[in-house]
Amino acid sequence: MRELRRVAIIALRDLRAELRGGGRLPAMIAFVVLASFLFAFTIDRAQISPRGIAAPLLWLILLFAVAAGAGRTFDGEEDDGAFRHLLLAPVSRHAIFLGKSAANLVLLWIVTVLAFVAITAFLGVGAPGSVSHHAAVLLPGTIGLAASGAFFGLVSRHSDLGDSLLPVLAFPLLVPVVFFGSTASTRIFLERPWTEVSGSVRLLWAFALGFVTVGSALFRHLTED
Amino acid sequence: MLAARELVCDYGPTRALDGVGLAVGRGATLGVFGANGAGKTTLLRVLSGERRVEGGRVEMDGVAVRGTDAGWRGRVGVVSHRTGLYRKLTAAENLAFFAALRELPRDRRTLEGALDRVGAAALADRRVDLLSRGQRQRVALARSLMHAPEILLLDEPFSGLDPDGARRLEALLREGGEGRIVVLATHNLARGLALSDRVVVLRRGRKTLDAEARGLSADRLLHHFAAGAVAA
Repeated sequence: MRELRRVAIIALRDLRAELRGGGRLPAMIAFVVLASFLFAFTIDRAQISPRGIAAPLLWLILLFAVAAGAGRTFDGEEDDGAFRHLLLAPVSRHAIFLGKSAANLVLLWIVTVLAFVAITAFLGVGAPGSVSHHAAVLLPGTIGLAASGAFFGLVSRHSDLGDSLLPVLAFPLLVPVVFFGSTASTRIFLERPWTEVSGSVRLLWAFALGFVTVGSALFRHLTED
Repeated sequence: MLAARELVCDYGPTRALDGVGLAVGRGATLGVFGANGAGKTTLLRVLSGERRVEGGRVEMDGVAVRGTDAGWRGRVGVVSHRTGLYRKLTAAENLAFFAALRELPRDRRTLEGALDRVGAAALADRRVDLLSRGQRQRVALARSLMHAPEILLLDEPFSGLDPDGARRLEALLREGGEGRIVVLATHNLARGLALSDRVVVLRRGRKTLDAEARGLSADRLLHHFAAGAVAA
């Protein structure tokens, strides 16, 4: 309970700073809207079914949004050595990682909702299927993306290559998330029964828990000088 | 008593600390002096638990300290020339954040009280990025003192402070606390000597002097530095 409270304190600090402007959210929102618009324009709807292409577009946009925004998870911590003082606080490294991931998740959900609305609107997908089923697929997927964003954000912070390193490191590991997420979401867009989706959702949860667990363990290792 | 025994610390091929040992009793202040790159900051980082060592250990009252132990970090306060404040938050929000992590009261009165101790109560609602360097340093001091740390590690804490801020910090250090241990690294020899009970001089990661501060003068310390530079 104590640890959870600390996770919430760290997440809320990140979100408060984000709301003060100049952070990651505006860049992520701008990217999502523009990418959705451009994708919708470049697709020949006579050849490709909007319902069939909506889910892959949604997941690819989320993947790039993570690279654009979540990778900058630790930018605020660069403020005059703030991260050092966060590490000096009597808080476990796990709580810091989970707090950062939780803040990323909130931002990612804002972006996800926006991307979902933009893609369905721009592609003209009238009935996108059950919203609760979409949420059930997107939740584990975005948890995995948020945790990986926090972890790789720290990795790129330690590297001279900075943000440019993020896609190289993260994308290969995130391919399964995008693949299973896209498969499951496509079936929901096509209004297939939940039984055809549940297997992918279980795999997405497995990836999400894996990213959170492994990320948390490696985060501790990375932050020990 | 805070003690360091035979500390060895490397940054790649560079040995930053080479067999450094020291001891500071409760209620005492240890001044750490040395030229740039002598190992002062590394020593403080090792004492705070931030930096792992290749050899030796840090002990508190005879018990070895583990830097990864959150309990140890709860007993230590650190002030450095980098303030470690979040620019987009106000001074009070910064204090509230760290108070929450340390499970301290964070009501308005407590936060203003902490800022008032360093003469920064008027800055409570101002965003840190709108504060001057010295004002930020005051807020950082308030942040590092608010949990009444048992061990206070100060790395160039006077950096950026105006005379009033420096005077307040000196008063806070002199007033001390019940059994507080202070380790102060500074280039200001006169001020450091005046505040210290004992003095350690580092040169290239090695301890070259460990003496009572009382019998020392800034000139003598300077002479010790110069002699070391010539010998080196």
